[in-house]
Amino acid sequence: MSKQINVALIGNPNTGKTSVFNSLTGLNQKVGNYPGITVEKKEGICKLPRGVKAHIIDLPGTYSLNASSLDENVVIELLLNKNDKDFPDVAVVVSDVENLKRNLLLFTQIKDLEIPTVLVINMSDRMKYKGISLDIPYLESQLQTKIALVSTRKNEGIDNLKTLISNYKELSITPCLNASEIDKEYFDNLRKAFPNQLLYKLWLVITQDVNFGKTDRNEIDAVADFKTKTKADLKRLQQKETIKRYQFINNTLKKGQTIDLSTAKDLRIKLDRILTHKIWGYAIFLVILLTIFQAIYDWSAIPMDFIDSSFASLSEWTKNSLPEGAFTSLLAEGIIPGLGGIVIFIPQIAFLFLFISVLEESGYMSRVVFLMDRGMRRFGLSGKSVVPLISGTACAIPAIMATRNIESWKERLITILVTPFTTCSARLPVYLIIISLVIPEGRFLGLGYQALTLMLLYLIGFGAALISAMILNKVLKIKSKSFFVVEMPNYKLPLIKNVALTVVEKTKSFVFGAGKIILAISIVLWFLASYGPGEEFNNAEEIVTEKFASKHLTEEELQNEIASQKLEYSFIGLTGRAIEPAIRPLGYDWKIGIAIVSSFAAREVFVGTLATIYSVGSDEEETIKNRMAGEVNPILGGPLFNFASGISLLLFYAFAMQCMSTLAIVKRETNSWKWPILQLVLMSVFAYVVAFIAFQILI
Amino acid sequence: MNHLLQNILAFTLLFLALGFLVKKFFWKNSKPTKDIGKHDCDNCH
Ligand SMILES: Nc1nc2c(ncn2[C@@H]2O[C@H](COP(=O)(O)OP(=O)(O)OP(=O)(O)O)[C@@H](O)[C@H]2O)c(=O)[nH]1
Ligand SMILES: [Mg+2]
Repeated sequence: MSKQINVALIGNPNTGKTSVFNSLTGLNQKVGNYPGITVEKKEGICKLPRGVKAHIIDLPGTYSLNASSLDENVVIELLLNKNDKDFPDVAVVVSDVENLKRNLLLFTQIKDLEIPTVLVINMSDRMKYKGISLDIPYLESQLQTKIALVSTRKNEGIDNLKTLISNYKELSITPCLNASEIDKEYFDNLRKAFPNQLLYKLWLVITQDVNFGKTDRNEIDAVADFKTKTKADLKRLQQKETIKRYQFINNTLKKGQTIDLSTAKDLRIKLDRILTHKIWGYAIFLVILLTIFQAIYDWSAIPMDFIDSSFASLSEWTKNSLPEGAFTSLLAEGIIPGLGGIVIFIPQIAFLFLFISVLEESGYMSRVVFLMDRGMRRFGLSGKSVVPLISGTACAIPAIMATRNIESWKERLITILVTPFTTCSARLPVYLIIISLVIPEGRFLGLGYQALTLMLLYLIGFGAALISAMILNKVLKIKSKSFFVVEMPNYKLPLIKNVALTVVEKTKSFVFGAGKIILAISIVLWFLASYGPGEEFNNAEEIVTEKFASKHLTEEELQNEIASQKLEYSFIGLTGRAIEPAIRPLGYDWKIGIAIVSSFAAREVFVGTLATIYSVGSDEEETIKNRMAGEVNPILGGPLFNFASGISLLLFYAFAMQCMSTLAIVKRETNSWKWPILQLVLMSVFAYVVAFIAFQILI
Repeated sequence: MNHLLQNILAFTLLFLALGFLVKKFFWKNSKPTKDIGKHDCDNCH
């Protein structure tokens, strides 16, 4: 027998739904210690006792069934629509033992929809720190449900939960609150008008439509027209409902939960006082940032050099041991250097994510959010915008999706538009290589200039995001108001497993996601650089030999001249030189121009592109870094990557909108081409202007 | 290995790469999500 039941994981944000989901399904969805990590439905399969299979759905966190933002709406739409293929047979409400009161509000609402409901009380490992004890049998009888006391961290209670889920048919579906208690007259009328429908569900549909406008739920569509009350009255009733529910919950918890404050440790309060302090809070944050950037530099220098020289040797070895021909050259000059351009950054990317995930998991990131919230309003952003802005340091795409929990459309739009300014991990490779070429290695107070520059670039990114938010706030004519409650999760010792998983996942997605694009682009570039139209390319040997006939070059010098003549007249050289006039004022040559153009697919491509272009036709074994350092500016002489052009390039990458995938997501999230195009044009023009000014001043 | 084989291999890779890029960036039929853009939650509060 193999039947499948639908199980939905529902609960307040940050209660550990995704952790429970991972425990049940064995999958590895992202977990983080602040609200709003999950913004979309995620699905998985779990085997229950007696051969039953459960289809588990992880949902975004929601505080109640009276939705105010899009991610919350996902939950309600699912619960109201019996025809949805994911409509749950059992709802598992995940609550957090420390916030039981607030968590139970949602529980009572779901119970009232007469869906079989299991209550998970998660984080039971925290009970003894907090001096909490629970009378489970009493709570079960009051709430008319089955309770699983779970700690995903200690892996306790999961088997019990599986048993409860598989016995879902035995769960009582008696509601907690009789809807008529809210307003007898109104609900009696409602019942008369729709005798066959569940009263509480009708009520939700009505209030839902008040909040969100009609959505297609043909089944009980007519309800929306049941308007005997004004919007304001309905709102009042909603509030009354909440009050009634809290009365019920308070009564239940009075007996079912005891908290012995004397055993509770107040370390958290002390820590919070320092970490969110008006001055110390910022100072500590700055110190943490500095440490992180310095560590990224110090720790990754050795593996980076090792990888760089290994790839150079591999290239050389390939060239020498395979028979000569197009394929061998493609491998040695296109594919291997291109791959080297990705692999070389694995150490830094891994360290970056190591730090980010430790900060997230420990609960410190939420304090940063709180800290930043104070200043955010001035820029027309909400405190909730901080989460996308900070997670933008990994990648703008999930960050833009994370804006779904911002209620106000205007704030959400502004956040979407400015998030790509935050320094994403794709910019890191470009920054690192250019910084290592143009910023001296010295140290100041134990901090390397290079690490300081890197941190400055991150701050510039945030700064640009904030300032453009402020401008957008003035320019966009959208009415908006919103409020923000920061919820501060507890400090937790980061779980090594979670941290390790994040690091591995992110690094993998960097290597394989960007890697495929970089590889493909390297191949194409190699062809464009190795073939060319016309006389100058095809007869390069004769032309060059003739030209230098009187100069008595060595054989090697002659070969180099031929190679550069060929590159210059190859397809890519011709294209590059066509765009060169546009980028020369920024201090770049045509090769950098090509790298910039290909970076519009994805920024990481930059280094791989240069590696490929420089390798074509070259015979020496050289690392990417040395090749770049050896380039000479064709017009001004001196190294091509000098302080002026380096800074100009860094600033260009800091501001330009060079990521097709982000544009696609912005299109999807705003449902129009207008915003992504605006973003692309404005950001890139701005980048150009800033890079131009920087180069002209510094030169 | 003769030059012909080398060329065949190299160009096969080129076409695979081109195919991948085209599929990645131009083929993506972005399915429009319903109404996210137009919705204004500001009226909710
Ligand atoms: N101490 C303790 N911490 C836990 C437990 N389960 C989860 N956590 C932590 O709680 C935090 C939130 O976990 P998530 O699983 O991301 O929570 P969520 O409900 O999916 O959050 P959203 O998707 O943002 O709504 C993470 O830092 C977890 O490591 C537990 O049993 N004990
Ligand atoms: Mg989650």
